[in-house]
Amino acid sequence: MSNVHKDFHGALSFGLQFLDDAYGPEDVQDFLGGLADTVYKPLVNAIRLRGLDALREHWQTVFDLEDGEIEWHDADGTLELHVLRCPAITHMQAHGYAIADHFCEHTRIVNEAVCRAAGYEAEVEYDQAQGRCVQRFRRAAP
Amino acid sequence: MISCTEFIWVYSELFRFIEARGGEEQLIAFWKGIADEFLGNLRQYVEEDGLEGMHRYWSHTLGEEGGRHTMTLYDDLFVIDMHECPSAKLIFQSGRVEPYPKYCEHCRWLYPPLLKKLGYEAEMDVIDCERGRCRLTVRKITE
Repeated sequence: MSNVHKDFHGALSFGLQFLDDAYGPEDVQDFLGGLADTVYKPLVNAIRLRGLDALREHWQTVFDLEDGEIEWHDADGTLELHVLRCPAITHMQAHGYAIADHFCEHTRIVNEAVCRAAGYEAEVEYDQAQGRCVQRFRRAAP
Repeated sequence: MISCTEFIWVYSELFRFIEARGGEEQLIAFWKGIADEFLGNLRQYVEEDGLEGMHRYWSHTLGEEGGRHTMTLYDDLFVIDMHECPSAKLIFQSGRVEPYPKYCEHCRWLYPPLLKKLGYEAEMDVIDCERGRCRLTVRKITE
């Protein structure tokens, strides 16, 4: 598998902890939320164009590449992604990397920002220690 | 989850964010922090196997990251000639984010200081950041 260097999860974790320690959770929120306008702009545009299918495609590609374990449970216009084995948490635990206190918050913040920018809503429930989460996506109420 | 395939763009945005909040001094503190607290595996490889350990470490990381480079290992010298850095290519050529102009500086702060503490003299020459060309030269310090 090319160009998948999982140690980057550890570097991201270090960066999130650094931001939290130096500037606090509001700046972490600002930084991660801002990624919807930059790094994730192509995903925002794809969701605007193709709706939840674009999100499903995005996550399926990511978890296939990173060898995560996921299930999809969809109902009533809600796309529900169950992450049963998070590749980031699994890799950091396996290699003894320090995991940021609020590492999984980045998923909630980025998901919410990306979806908000595209006219959708997101929510995330996670168990950081277990490397599991449930992510829900739906069109925002008009 | 921010995928490791998206990380380099996020990393670059993080450099920009930290510099905007705390200036260059804070950004350098961040880079030094990565060297001190995150690169433990590089430190371990070098403590165990010296220049050969460096060769093993970068064979693994650069092998996973992709890009085009050559590594040369002599008895007393280790050199990485980066012809096309995979990270710099993403930053400066993909158009995904506004390139952070000092992106390549982080390698100067991550690797030479760490290697110096382990008894090596290391020079990071950035030849052409936008094209992802640089050279890391490491020599064992002899008394």
